Amino acid sequence: MYRACGVVDRTYTKDMAIVRTWYHWTSLAGAVVLLYLLPVLGVDYYYISLINMLSITIITVLGLQIMTGYCGQISFGQPAFMAVGAYTAAILTSQYGVNFWLALPLSGLAAGLVGVVGGAPSLRIKGFYLAMATLAIHFIVMWLIMRLKITGGIGGIYVSSPSLGAFNLDSHERMYFVIITVMLIMTFGARNLVRSKIGRAFVAIRDNDLAAEIMGVNLYYYKLLAFFISCFYAGVAGCLFVHLLTVGHPEQFPMFDAIWYIGMIIVGGMGSIPGVFFGVLTLRLLNELVLFGSPLLAQTLPWLGAAPASCIGMIVFAIVLGIFLIFEPRGLAHRWEIFKASYRIYPFAY
Amino acid sequence: MEAFLQYFIVGLLEGGLYALVGATIVLVYKATQVPSLAHGQILAFGALFLYVFYTLLGLPLILALLLTFAATCLLGLVIDRMAMRPLIGQPHFAAFLITFAIFIGLDGIYSIILKAKPLDFPNFLPPGHLKIFQINIPLSEFMSFIAVFILFGLLGLFFRFTTVGLNMLATAENHQLAMSTGINVKNIFSFVWGLSALVAAVAGMAAGNIMDISFALPYLGIKGLIVALFGGLDSVLGALLGGLVLGILENVAAGYIDPLVGGGVKEVAAYAMLLLILIVKPYGLFGQVRIERI
Repeated sequence: MYRACGVVDRTYTKDMAIVRTWYHWTSLAGAVVLLYLLPVLGVDYYYISLINMLSITIITVLGLQIMTGYCGQISFGQPAFMAVGAYTAAILTSQYGVNFWLALPLSGLAAGLVGVVGGAPSLRIKGFYLAMATLAIHFIVMWLIMRLKITGGIGGIYVSSPSLGAFNLDSHERMYFVIITVMLIMTFGARNLVRSKIGRAFVAIRDNDLAAEIMGVNLYYYKLLAFFISCFYAGVAGCLFVHLLTVGHPEQFPMFDAIWYIGMIIVGGMGSIPGVFFGVLTLRLLNELVLFGSPLLAQTLPWLGAAPASCIGMIVFAIVLGIFLIFEPRGLAHRWEIFKASYRIYPFAY
Repeated sequence: MEAFLQYFIVGLLEGGLYALVGATIVLVYKATQVPSLAHGQILAFGALFLYVFYTLLGLPLILALLLTFAATCLLGLVIDRMAMRPLIGQPHFAAFLITFAIFIGLDGIYSIILKAKPLDFPNFLPPGHLKIFQINIPLSEFMSFIAVFILFGLLGLFFRFTTVGLNMLATAENHQLAMSTGINVKNIFSFVWGLSALVAAVAGMAAGNIMDISFALPYLGIKGLIVALFGGLDSVLGALLGGLVLGILENVAAGYIDPLVGGGVKEVAAYAMLLLILIVKPYGLFGQVRIERI
């Protein structure tokens, strides 16, 4: 999109390339290699598990970004679809003995199919009404999970950790490689999807669905496709999540997570794949900071009571979300673009 | 039959409460076109304020009630001024999301105040039961039910006969036309938030009477949204009907289906109803059907 003066693309392929310059390539490759080497370099267990959880959240939020940021269909159902994926994977691997590597895409597929059924109301309603419908779907799915026999109800469901050949992936450090690999693949997929024909149809639907329909975009097909893809992402994330923790429980997928996810794409920037990373990192790291800071806060302000870290986290989240909604609705990704542009043309204003 | 009547009456009483919560959301939506979840928290704080003024400070009941109304109204005005007014002109969805942010933020404060255990609501309504045709009706709930109807009547009169009420109706109709007749739309928005906070305070007291000042109290806001959607987001009458229907449906469904599936129907009956109504009648029972143009 924006490129430095003097950079001329001679072929269409070059023009469409996401990674353009050698500097781009080396920094990307360096970052990926560094990411894979982190456990080998002896980074603390805490950071490894943090990156694991961050990656799983990123996969989920990527799905939400495709559905909400690109296609404009607001969904509060993401935790429920994640739960569908998690429980599908858990039931497949623990009760039917399916291989984890087969269960991973299957759980995405199952969540996607549930998403298509759940997204069916989007054919008639949109905006706020659709948001409420997905909220209803969340509660109904969670209720079913808690009531059905096969899911283990409120007792939860236990799975054994997956293995790769003889190598047992039974710890955060070992699952790390699987999770970041999947995360990178999913990011790559999302980045490419949104600039394909499908992605352009999504953007057309987001900007004005009636106009898109008149231009020949099949509204029903693409809306349901958006739901399917988004829920596929959520399902894969759920599968990784349940195999990382080796236990699945309905309380791992609370309704509030849906609002956190929406908040992440707002803080990061609607309609931007890098925005997902910005949003997830900002909000999750803020939350970690609050977790660290709250004992100190409880010491200085004793009337607050016994370390209500989650409560303070909620307040901080609300304030950050409010500030972004009011002052920078385009999110951090927009700021990042501005920064890049001004860096490139440094001595000049614009 | 007797069991049915019992479920029905209990549902009806609960429905009055839902209707009131729905009415607060409808009030705000009518004027500002923003469906608000924040009213769940406002009503919880209403109950909390009464606890502070009446139980903690030991003020006389009338004074405590007045102070509670004032404090809740102030909370509504502050929310409007701090969060809603900067978003005028932005997409409605941003405003809708900021009510979620307010909900979460206030929920954090609320949980800190509660310190992990529910507080006893000062039950100033008379205890005891009414017994009609072998059906037990808690007297306090019955009285709050009557209060709900009186409040709905007052709201109707307010919209019909006062200048401010008429201005609010005009604003609900069309912002620009209202402005051109000299109505200060921003002031109307503030007024609407204050008024809806007052209604929410009454709802909070009625709810606190039944379920104490517990963590579940703010989540009535979601029920309120369902009620408002059911009746059509811009119809106060729809909210009344929707609330009653939801209350009855929840209790009757829970009464008959719970033994079959082992409990918990009450939690999802509302959502199932919401999904159904959204698919069958997307704009609710009495809602205005919008015709879209490019």
